[in-house]
Amino acid sequence: MTHDFDPRIHRALDGELDRTALTPEERTLVERLDAASRALSDFPAAPGGTLTHRVMGIIRRPLQSPVERFRRWLTSPHPVTLSLRPVYSVIVAVLLVALLWRAPETPLLAKHEGVAQFVARFPEAHSVAVVGPFNDWRPEATPLSDDDHDGVWDARVILPAGPHEYMFVVDGERWVADPMAGKYVDDGFGRQNAVMEVRPVRSE
Amino acid sequence: MTVGEGPSGSSDAEVIAQVLSGDVEAFGVLITRYEGGLLRFATRMLGSRDAAADAVAEGLVRAYRHLASCRDPARFRTWVFRIVANRCKSHLARRPVGDVSLDDAPPLAAPDNTDEGVERTDQLERLERALAQLAPEKREAFVLKHLDGMSYEEMSAVTGERIPTLKMRVHRAREALLAALREPS
Repeated sequence: MTHDFDPRIHRALDGELDRTALTPEERTLVERLDAASRALSDFPAAPGGTLTHRVMGIIRRPLQSPVERFRRWLTSPHPVTLSLRPVYSVIVAVLLVALLWRAPETPLLAKHEGVAQFVARFPEAHSVAVVGPFNDWRPEATPLSDDDHDGVWDARVILPAGPHEYMFVVDGERWVADPMAGKYVDDGFGRQNAVMEVRPVRSE
Repeated sequence: MTVGEGPSGSSDAEVIAQVLSGDVEAFGVLITRYEGGLLRFATRMLGSRDAAADAVAEGLVRAYRHLASCRDPARFRTWVFRIVANRCKSHLARRPVGDVSLDDAPPLAAPDNTDEGVERTDQLERLERALAQLAPEKREAFVLKHLDGMSYEEMSAVTGERIPTLKMRVHRAREALLAALREPS
C-alpha cells in the first residue's frame, strides 16, 4: 500500500526546498529515504576488470561480414519461440485434434468417393503409371511407386465410387492391362482395358 | 573528479575522439569510468547480477559500435545509460510479466549478527522486494534519480520522457518504498 506524502517532502528530496523548512516528522521521512537509497546503492563491486575484459575482448575482434553472420545463423542452432494467445491455442488444438481424428479413416473424402488401390508387378520396370478416364489417360498424372525396389508398384487414388477403366503404362511407352483385374472391357480399338470397382468409403 | 572526466584526466569527449581516431584500447577508459554506475542501474532494474552484467556488456559493445553517432560526446554518460536502459528493457520483455527475480540479487553488504545488523538486513530485503515490485518505468526513474544521482534533465535524456512524467514516477516510487519500510516485519 502506498501513501500520498506531502509534496514538500518530494520537493526537499528533489532539492527544490531546503530541508530545514521541514517539520521533524517530514525530515525523518526524508532521511529514511536517503538511507534506503544508500542501502540500495551499496553492494560489493564485481571483481575488478571483469566487465572491461569481456567488452574489450568482443570489440577487439573484427566484425563479421553480413554474409558470414547469416551463414553462422543458418548453421548454428537457436531457439524459436512461437507464442499464441490462449484462445488461439485452444482453436489450433481443436483443429489439430479434428484433423488427426479424421485422418486415418477418411482422408478428405467426399460422401460418394472411395480409394482405388492400383498394384502391379513389373520387376524390370523403371517407371509405372496408371491411366484412365479419371486422369484423361495422361501417363504423367498418376505414377506408381516402388519404394522398396521389390518390383511391386502401387498407388492409391481417390476416385468417385463406381467402375473405372484403367491401364498401366510401363517405362512411359508400354501400355499393359492389369493382369490381376477381375473385369475387362473392350477399348474399341481391339484391346481391353481393366476395370476396377471403387466402393464409397462411407456408405449410407 | 567531475562527471565525464576520469582518473586518466581526459574528458569523455577527448577519449571518444581518441577511440574514433583508431585507438580501440581507449574505450577501456570509458568502461572503467562508467561500469560501476551502469552495473548498479542494471542490477536494480533486472534483480540479477548476471543478467545485469549481460545487459551492460551488450550495451557497451553497442555503444562502441555506434560511437560515431554520439552527437554530443560531452554527454556520453546519458547516451550510454540510455543504451543500457534499452538493453534492460529488452531483457525484461523476454521475461514473464512482473518477473524480476531476486534469486540472484546482489549480496548484502557487510552482514553482521548484531540486532542492528539483522534489522538492517531485513529492511534492505524489504526495500529490494518493493523495488522489484514497482513497474519498470517507476523503478528506472527511482534508480536513476536516487542511486545514480541524476538530475531530472539527465534522466529525461536517458529515458526520452518529459520531466513532469519522471517526477511523478519518482514520487510514486518513493512512496511505495517508504510504505514498504513502514510495514511490520
